[in-house]
Amino acid sequence: MRKIAIYGKGGIGKSTTTQNTVAGLVEMGRKVMVVGCDPKADSTRLLLGGLAQRSVLDTLREEGEDVDLEDIRSQGFCNALCVESGGPEPGVGCAGRGIITSINMLEQLGAYEDKVGLDYVFYDVLGDVVCGGFAMPIREGKAEEIYIVCSGEMMAMYAANNICKGIVKFAQTGVVRLGGLICNSRNVDRERDLIEAFAEKLGTQMIHFVPRDNDVQRAEINRKTVIEWNAEAPQADEYRALAKAIENNKKLVIPKPLPIEALEALLMEYGLFN
Amino acid sequence: MPHDEIEILEERRNQVFRKGEGAASGEIACGKRSAAGSVSQRACVFCGSRVVLYPIADALHVVHGPIGCAAYTWDIRGAHSSGPQLHRNSFSTDLQEKDVIFGGEKKLAAALRELIAACTPKAAFVYSTCITGLIGDDVDAVCKTISKETGIPVIPVESPGFSGTKKDGYRAACEAIYKLIGTGDISGISPHSINLLGEFNIAGETWIMKDYFRRIGIQVVSCISGDGRVDEIRRCHGAKLNLVQCSGSMTHLAKKLTDDYGIPFQRISFFGIEDTAAAIYGAAGVFGDPEIESRARELVKEELLKIQPELRRYRKILKGRKAAIYVGGAFKAFSLVRALRSLGMRTVLVGSQTGNPQDYEQLKELCDPGTVIVDDSNPLELAKFCLEKDVDLFIGGVKERPIAYKLGIGFCDHNHERKEALAGFEGMINFAKEVHASVMSPVWNYVPRRANRRQERMAA
Repeated sequence: MRKIAIYGKGGIGKSTTTQNTVAGLVEMGRKVMVVGCDPKADSTRLLLGGLAQRSVLDTLREEGEDVDLEDIRSQGFCNALCVESGGPEPGVGCAGRGIITSINMLEQLGAYEDKVGLDYVFYDVLGDVVCGGFAMPIREGKAEEIYIVCSGEMMAMYAANNICKGIVKFAQTGVVRLGGLICNSRNVDRERDLIEAFAEKLGTQMIHFVPRDNDVQRAEINRKTVIEWNAEAPQADEYRALAKAIENNKKLVIPKPLPIEALEALLMEYGLFN
Repeated sequence: MPHDEIEILEERRNQVFRKGEGAASGEIACGKRSAAGSVSQRACVFCGSRVVLYPIADALHVVHGPIGCAAYTWDIRGAHSSGPQLHRNSFSTDLQEKDVIFGGEKKLAAALRELIAACTPKAAFVYSTCITGLIGDDVDAVCKTISKETGIPVIPVESPGFSGTKKDGYRAACEAIYKLIGTGDISGISPHSINLLGEFNIAGETWIMKDYFRRIGIQVVSCISGDGRVDEIRRCHGAKLNLVQCSGSMTHLAKKLTDDYGIPFQRISFFGIEDTAAAIYGAAGVFGDPEIESRARELVKEELLKIQPELRRYRKILKGRKAAIYVGGAFKAFSLVRALRSLGMRTVLVGSQTGNPQDYEQLKELCDPGTVIVDDSNPLELAKFCLEKDVDLFIGGVKERPIAYKLGIGFCDHNHERKEALAGFEGMINFAKEVHASVMSPVWNYVPRRANRRQERMAA
């Protein structure tokens, strides 16, 4: 079982990219579970066709410890298994602790056991790793491969660089490695070159360049991944390519995060500051 | 383990002082956070606030946190009340995993509504703990809402355990009490009136002290917090003088009352004959009323005559025995050194959890040469000096008791767990009795420490 976590700046398109990529994998016949690690619980909407998924934490709150896996795990597109961790309302409680609790619960309930036959588990984690709880998916024994979704925008790259610092910390004590950057294009000038150069400096690769295409939004409005909404769309092939690239990826590294000056110099070089 | 093999941690060397022969010199470091690796005898911020407010008997005390924090304070102070007993309950919101995740505010509000309806308290104190501090529960907002709903003061106590030392907890308690002060009617308060601050009525001491003041014609408006009542605290700003006994916890409140209401304060102690007499005379002298002063002299004389013969008897037996003292506030340590001296005993080790630089200066002057003085000590240090000085008695609280007993030393509880009143003149007799019984118990002749000594003597 490959254990993968997707990180990236808030609003960069992590959930969209994750679900569309997972659609590519399940279409290839892989068995995949997606675990949404965001209190908003919106990481599996496209795979489930908009079905409201009961989150692990809501179930725990309403029904106590006596929870069955079926209560919190639903089957979506091509039998993709979907779980939402959930969490508190904005401004109260401790969402980080919620992530820890729900992942522990999934383990207890046997969601990762061999008999489930998973090829992949994907953790889709809230934008910034704000506290220890949000780092739970990359601790020892959890996700082993990280993909960072970014774009050629400065703040997205800052966030990616920062996430790499977190990966370094956990890589030193565990097995987690960076698998690559996924560029979710914002149509910034020379974006592909910039992210490729950035990836090289980090010691990793740009695993795929996902062009901007309004079909993604069209599919979203229909509560579907692009592959399900229109299997023939060119954008569907982009996600298939990304899924294949991840499937075949052997380049797993401990990243070398850049000092801020080096990151800014890179942006200068590719013309963003002009 | 021999005492000279126990080393003092490098970071703590300047918090341990040996009084030399002649003049005291050198400073004792204090008032800082406990050194890492030193198993401090101190408790946390929450515990500091909890022990100060606990004796307010007609208030509701709600611990907002996991159950462990509340279990620790279940009736632990044993503070007596002449009326309501509500304070002896430590109510808790019993926060669990899902409360941590989703926040504990709703649970707190529900607990307060239920408890206020069931117990009809005069006020409620809500203690925040490590967990609620960490997850950022808005305790202030909940308190405000419930206060508006129920019409009683619902007061947040800012006391997450990690947010400082026990002393910060005292301060949080003072701030909480201060929210009540000034809200009551002060008409009818005598011009000869006082508050007792930092007296907790652990074994009925408040009643002894109040009786003395009644007899000499001084009104006690409020005791904070022994046998405490919310309505008395609300009007305590009408008193003319504050007497501060537990200096560590209540000096902050006394200073606020001086600044805002112009009420002067005196640091006093009702432990030991000298200090009790000084406290009574000090308070009596403030009002410039010769009648009060003469009644004070009468009272002291009368009480002394009652106890002197028995004290002399104990003194004869206890003369030359050695004691170690480790207490929370330094002011109590002064009193104990003097009280032991009046029993013919020597203090060879003395320390406090929360003393300040002036306290330690005073302690250095007071103590005999050779005495070891420690700030914020730990079990190993206390054990080391007890062995080195070969003490006959340890006076302390619940956390010092096992140290003494493991070493085979008599122990006298002068803290939460005492059952005999130790204040005032009759308290001095109780104290002497207890010290005598502890020190002279034949059991100490059979503990390994003494056995070794006997063997050494025999070999020599």
